Amino acid sequence: MNRVGRALVIHELSERLRDRWVLVVTLLFILLASGVGLYGRAAEEGAAAVTAPSLVTLATFLVPLVALVLGHDAIVGERERHTLGLLLSLPVGRGEVLLAKFVGRGLALALAIGLGLGAAALMVDPAQGRALMGLLPSTLLLGGAFLSIGVLISSISRRHATAASLAVAVWFLLVLFWDLGLLAGLVATDGALPQGVIAALSAANPAGLYRLALLERLTGAAALQELGLVVKLPGGWAQAGLWTSWILGPLAVGGALLLRRKAVTT
Amino acid sequence: MHVALDGIAVHFGPVHALAGVDLALAPGEVAVLAGPNGAGKSTLIGVLLGLLKLDAGRVMVDGRDLVAGGRRFQREVRAQLGYLPEAVAFAENLTGRQVLRFFARARGVKKGRIAEVLEQVGLTAAADRAVRGYSRGMRQRLGLGIATIHKPALLILDEPTGGLDQQGLTVLWEVLEEARREGRTVLLSTHDLALIEKRADRVHVLSRGRLAASGTPESLRRETDLPVRVQVELADEERAEAVAGGLSQAFGMPVDLDTRRVGLDVGADDLFGVLEAIRSQQSSVSWMRVEEPGLDAVYEALLEART
Repeated sequence: MNRVGRALVIHELSERLRDRWVLVVTLLFILLASGVGLYGRAAEEGAAAVTAPSLVTLATFLVPLVALVLGHDAIVGERERHTLGLLLSLPVGRGEVLLAKFVGRGLALALAIGLGLGAAALMVDPAQGRALMGLLPSTLLLGGAFLSIGVLISSISRRHATAASLAVAVWFLLVLFWDLGLLAGLVATDGALPQGVIAALSAANPAGLYRLALLERLTGAAALQELGLVVKLPGGWAQAGLWTSWILGPLAVGGALLLRRKAVTT
Repeated sequence: MHVALDGIAVHFGPVHALAGVDLALAPGEVAVLAGPNGAGKSTLIGVLLGLLKLDAGRVMVDGRDLVAGGRRFQREVRAQLGYLPEAVAFAENLTGRQVLRFFARARGVKKGRIAEVLEQVGLTAAADRAVRGYSRGMRQRLGLGIATIHKPALLILDEPTGGLDQQGLTVLWEVLEEARREGRTVLLSTHDLALIEKRADRVHVLSRGRLAASGTPESLRRETDLPVRVQVELADEERAEAVAGGLSQAFGMPVDLDTRRVGLDVGADDLFGVLEAIRSQQSSVSWMRVEEPGLDAVYEALLEART
């Protein structure tokens, strides 16, 4: 990344840290994560074991939201403020601008995730706290995937309101309705959907894979089966490939669209 | 920086935003881009900034083709560009100083220059306030600061007078004067030709994607041959009516008469004729003013002639 890209990363981080919506959602994540941590400390030994899974469930809902809030106006916001042309008149490529925006906003997201998990970790005993902080890498990947989707939304939208609506729709679809949709599919087919299809569909959504993979790691496959979740998750390398494509894919599409656009500022 | 646009064409589907525009910008020149809405001004600025892909033509910078020169050359050129977009807004959460700091960092300009620029655009006192509290004029001045922080070889200003109060206009005039003094090129687009005409070295009039006229304000005035407004105050009031009648007859134009003051529109070559006509009515002139047509009137006439 050249000098302009580096300056843009710092600028983006600085601007996001002052964005009230980002602050509100981050604060909400910190408060709820602290609540989960407090519950884990106050609960009996058996209940304490579900602190991490509860935190995973919380992160599945809130981290994509923070990421989409951060990403959805990356390009369209500049376009509406009439500063996209100004930015692109700097000696920097369009792809680098997109990447710098992703990195700058990604740093703000990492800070929000770190603060949320850190707040929960502070509420429990040190050993459990370390276990909670072990969720950080996977949660960063989850955030990165949704941030990348947010940046893609911002590159294809012509108005900020459209981008915000799309971001909300994506959040509802991938975070809230995806599992419900799978369940509806199973009910509609009277359980005839093959396990492979269910596994593929679950893993086709970053929020689904994050939740299932971490729950399996934290509670074991047997515990998931007790809950009726008999999904066979992709292997380690396949998961790494999926995360890479979820993070880089939307970003690459956004970059390609920006590069191909004849009039980039309209 | 020498910039030459050679047969530039840009189409958006069936719309020909620019249809074969030739235009040259010379160092130390303040060039004005004028034209009605949809004439292609913003498209032309987009071409210069490298934000638009050309359908035909070449942009030559200091004798080199900008597109053929490759990415490295394009970046070198962009490093020497300064740009003020129309109705620019900026990130509202940041202060004016923080916004300037980003552009200083991106342009590789030393920190000390930020204070200089804030002073120049009259924003020192407001530098640490969030941009959301800035008026439109203050944002415009901040934009001017951003555009000039690295003393660009080519300064492109899109409608820079919009929202500027008298203080803002003074800042703009200083920016233009400094650029001219230091041999830098300025291209500004505006609807307000009357405001800018004293500062313009060259005016390019765009109409429907084509260059309708191009030249110095003086040469465009000559080209349109619009009448000049002559006002004279006669030495004696008694002869005023006779003089007004004589002038009206001599030039076939209506003449305004207010006690001793007579006003009429005549061709630029008829000034001596006016004085002669007054003398022939046994009167003399105690005061005289000749007003050339404003650049806005010249612009209207040029557009009318081309359509």
